[in-house]
Amino acid sequence: MNKNLYGFAALFKTPDEIIEAAKKTAEAGYQKYDIHSPYPVHGIDRAMKLKASKLGFITLVFGLTGSAIALLLMYWTMSVDYPMIIGGKPFFALPAFVPITFELTVLLATLATVIGMITFFFRFPENDHPLHDTEYMKKVSCDHYGLVIEAKDKLFNETKVRELLNSLRPLSIEEIYYPEKETYPVLETKFVTFLILIALLTSGVTYFALNKLLYMQPFTWMMDQPKLNPQKQSTLFADGYGMRAPVKGTVARGFLPYPFTGQNAPTDVLLNPYLPTKENLQLGEQKYLTFCSPCHGNFGDGDSRLRGQFPNPPSLHSTRAREFSDGMIYHIITNGQNVMPSYASQITREERWAIVNYIRVLQRAKNAKSSDLQVVNKETGTNASN
Amino acid sequence: MHIDYSQEAPAVAGRLTLSQIEELVARPLDTKPDRKYFIALSISGSLLLLGAICLGISFYYGIGLWGNNQPVGWAVPIVNFVFWVGIGHAGTLISAILFLLRQKWRTGIARFAEAMTIFAVICAGIFPVIHTGRPWLAGYLLPYPNQHSLWVNFTSPLLWDVFAVSTYFTVSLVFWYIGLIPDFATLRDRTTSKVKKTIYSIFSLGWRHSSRHWQHYEKAYMLLAGFATPLVLSVHTIVSFDFAVSILPGWHTTIFPPYFVAGAIFSGFAMVVTVLVFVRKIFNLENIITLDHLEKMNKVILATGMMVGYAYGMEFFIAWYSGVQAEQFVFINRAFGPYAWAYWIMVSCNVIFPQLFWFRKFRRSIPVMFVIVILVNVGMWFERFVITVTSLHRDFLPSSWGYYKPTFFDMGILLGSFGLFFTLVILFTKSLPVVSISEVKAVADGAQPTHRGGHHE
Amino acid sequence: MHQTEFNYQRKDLPAGFSKYGLIFLVAGIVLAVASFFIDQTRAAFNYLIIYMMIVSIALGSLFLIALEYVAGAEWSTPFRRIPEFFAGLLPVLFVLVIPLLFFSHDLFHWAHEEAIKEDKILQGKAPYLNISFFVIRTLVFIAIWVLFYFILQRNSRKQDTSKDQTLTTKNIRFSAAFIPIFAITITFTAVDWLMSLEPHWFSTIFGVYYFSGTVIAALAAVTLVVVVLKEKGYFNPWITDDHLYSFGALLFAFVNFWAYIAFSQFMLIWYADLPEETFWYLTRWEGSWVIFSLLLIVIHFIVPYAMLLSQPSKMDPKRLKFISVWLLFAHLFDLFWLVMPNMQPLKKGYIFSWIDLVFPILGIGIVLTVFNFISRKENLIPVGDPKLKKGINFHL
Repeated sequence: MNKNLYGFAALFKTPDEIIEAAKKTAEAGYQKYDIHSPYPVHGIDRAMKLKASKLGFITLVFGLTGSAIALLLMYWTMSVDYPMIIGGKPFFALPAFVPITFELTVLLATLATVIGMITFFFRFPENDHPLHDTEYMKKVSCDHYGLVIEAKDKLFNETKVRELLNSLRPLSIEEIYYPEKETYPVLETKFVTFLILIALLTSGVTYFALNKLLYMQPFTWMMDQPKLNPQKQSTLFADGYGMRAPVKGTVARGFLPYPFTGQNAPTDVLLNPYLPTKENLQLGEQKYLTFCSPCHGNFGDGDSRLRGQFPNPPSLHSTRAREFSDGMIYHIITNGQNVMPSYASQITREERWAIVNYIRVLQRAKNAKSSDLQVVNKETGTNASN
Repeated sequence: MHIDYSQEAPAVAGRLTLSQIEELVARPLDTKPDRKYFIALSISGSLLLLGAICLGISFYYGIGLWGNNQPVGWAVPIVNFVFWVGIGHAGTLISAILFLLRQKWRTGIARFAEAMTIFAVICAGIFPVIHTGRPWLAGYLLPYPNQHSLWVNFTSPLLWDVFAVSTYFTVSLVFWYIGLIPDFATLRDRTTSKVKKTIYSIFSLGWRHSSRHWQHYEKAYMLLAGFATPLVLSVHTIVSFDFAVSILPGWHTTIFPPYFVAGAIFSGFAMVVTVLVFVRKIFNLENIITLDHLEKMNKVILATGMMVGYAYGMEFFIAWYSGVQAEQFVFINRAFGPYAWAYWIMVSCNVIFPQLFWFRKFRRSIPVMFVIVILVNVGMWFERFVITVTSLHRDFLPSSWGYYKPTFFDMGILLGSFGLFFTLVILFTKSLPVVSISEVKAVADGAQPTHRGGHHE
Repeated sequence: MHQTEFNYQRKDLPAGFSKYGLIFLVAGIVLAVASFFIDQTRAAFNYLIIYMMIVSIALGSLFLIALEYVAGAEWSTPFRRIPEFFAGLLPVLFVLVIPLLFFSHDLFHWAHEEAIKEDKILQGKAPYLNISFFVIRTLVFIAIWVLFYFILQRNSRKQDTSKDQTLTTKNIRFSAAFIPIFAITITFTAVDWLMSLEPHWFSTIFGVYYFSGTVIAALAAVTLVVVVLKEKGYFNPWITDDHLYSFGALLFAFVNFWAYIAFSQFMLIWYADLPEETFWYLTRWEGSWVIFSLLLIVIHFIVPYAMLLSQPSKMDPKRLKFISVWLLFAHLFDLFWLVMPNMQPLKKGYIFSWIDLVFPILGIGIVLTVFNFISRKENLIPVGDPKLKKGINFHL
């Protein structure tokens, strides 16, 4: 019988008695003993001479791990894997990362503390402990205070322990025994069948959920609308097309056709409608630099980096080019010439005329006369004759 | 009024013994629910059903059924979200901050307030998810490596919300469960029903009230409280960031974080008092949830109410002081524009009526406090309404001005959230101990040693 | 219940208080006056920092007293006299503020009429930011504080002999009335003396920001004195580790609170990126100011946070002494960071001057001297307070 003895349990009625009992037991040198009370009694850990709880270390380590995980995750996703500028903030926007870092720190620290305490410090769940379902447990669970000295203790000696407990004058002393080992019929057919059924059910549900359920649309109204889609078949029209061709001669809004092609520029009807004002010239300069300068050079000399390749981009300062009418230059920009493609789609009509004006300015500047200087001097009030 | 300041007011009135406390708290779990219980449950269940139907119809036809439209794209769903998150702040505040401040009076109300926190956060969580219009895609809110090789935007306050609210829910739940473990063990040891015993055994994990365990348990409780305290602040701070990081006048103001936190505590305490007034009466817990406790909660309501009032005033003053025209317009418009009615409901309910709590007589009168806390609940809902809607309804171009009205479905879903909340509360009162048995025992008369030995220095 | 014996005998404060107080005061006055002659603007700015530091300690202490009454706290009763003595600096503010009012032209951009003329925004603020209203506000605020100081302090001292419990009731009521008034006055004090140094800038949280620093300064000052006096045997054995732990925990809490408020203000302004707000931070990011800004985070948050994190460190008297001096410095540094970049010649970066080192000496001198003067003939422990016994037997 002694083999199965777990220990002796004594019950007390007041917190003062239990503090005294704890102190005496600790002083007697017992290691494997425990105090049970329905709530934490102040000062009991001091009376039992318990070392301070080391739980805080788990919290610290996992809290820091949480911070590190959060920061690394955000750094990697936002600055390395898929960097994107959001709201003009840097890729590694530390102030904006603080909230999530904090949350993950708290989350990890709390969960680790609790799980660590329950599994590592308490070794729970443990519903088969010998103390469970004893009269003793029922009492300390409600309004009594109990002391248990385990038989496993090195100093355990039945008579001595009894003596010590009696000297504390408890309400009662109880002997606690290990419960008989229960046999678990794990390999019974019933149980195995149950397990197999569970396995089948789980895989079936998982298969259904992952391969079917996920792809079921709850409703598809947004997608299935009763309308004709462009480029799609339709039974509504006899020709089977969803799209209709516009009526012959239809002109799109804001679109003016340019009927002239080839070298036949009707230069007499194409007159520059824009005056070379400052704004117009600025627009022309901007567009010239964007679209024309890559070949013709910044000042129209044809000296871009394409020079030296065949054919050289022509200079705009040749006599031929200078003698072009405005309409001719406009026509060339619109339709292209030789290897120069059409720029009609990139440059609007207004911009084309502005470029023409700007080219005129460039041509004039390259061929300035001394009389021009006088005009300039008059306007600016300086003397730049040399 | 004569108070003896040298004497400590007992945290548990009526000189109850430990077994009496246990008996009192566990009685609702041992008895069959009566007719009143089912009436209450059917009322809250009907509200829940109404909400569920409105939500179902909204899913079926789309969220065009709600009032949200240009320029007020954020409306009642977000108002409800912030409202419920706010309610959810009292619980953790009571269990964490008051624990750190060693306020013994928290023991009687902590469990209930924590439960309310969890239920309120559940209610709150519904709204952002349904507001997306396609709640079945909510998984995209989490950062996981997916085949689009896209990540969530970690610089967005809406994502911070995802993390904050889910962390808050998890930590509150853990905190609550940790507190419940010893109570499960107590219930396990007193019950005679075999089914109940199995359930309680599973949840108690085999707790045996060992002092070696209590030591770690208390340490863990303190660590958790230490984390939960800044967590409470952070959650409503992040909710306030949803508004305040924008550049919208009326939303972008630096006082928002503490202002929102104070408002959350304010509304949370009001809700806790609202429910406790009934609970203590119905379950005969007047000795454990005493009038003193309610008075202290009313003081907190008064204090936080004035903090909220301070923020209202500060916003107005700085709007004028800043010299920014748009800012000035928003605040004038708030108080005297088309939504002036909402603004003045908010001010009177949140700032003016709680001033009655300056008087001890009103603080200790159940009917008065009940009326005031109901008004506070109303006022705090309107506060969020005012912040959200009045800031949006006057866009920068007068052509995009509008007047927002919530529809039947908006209100139905709001009522449904109340139904959900109260259904959960009512179910909770009958299935779990509404007061922490072990904590109340610990502060009962004669529960702690007297240190006759003089050992204690 | 087991009780700690209480047999208090009044002892004079250690002679160091009066001796060092006087030395610092005289040295401080001489150096301060000299610096006013050398660089008036810089001296005025430095004097403002010290003035605000003294406001922080004095007003914060009064707030701590009121908080004790309103919250019904008992643990802080045994040493409530210490914040009462610090709050005794409040009447002195009437004198200390005079030089600032004279030098307001050096301090405040909005005090220049020619500046207002060209500035639409300053014109809009003129009804609030003008010299006469400013002076009235300042004096009225100080008068209110002094009034509450006298009431609370007189009732508390009366209780030493009369042991009348109704005095506690009275003080609770006055404290309850004081706290909302405190909130308003400290906010506008912060707006007036710190925020309006840069009159175009605005932030709704600024009052709370200054408040968080105030409480840290007052708590640190009280902690420092209590720990020093306890080590010299003035509070033995009535102040235990549990009291010290509460000090440590409160300091820790408010360090976090400050960081929370400071971060909220910065984050929102940084995120929204509106030019009318960001320029204030950009000034503090300019040139060498960036070092000060980063140091502020380290000094005011990271170091005290790390030093107070663990449980034993919160009740270690040596560490508490160190950290309270550190936090007093941190608050001073915070004020320096708030004030100095507003000085025109320092806008592009910090330039060292010995004047910056002079004024803390003056501050220490004023605080020590006034503390010593107020506390003479007074009990260091409120012997008649009904909560005292519970405060002495305070256990966590």
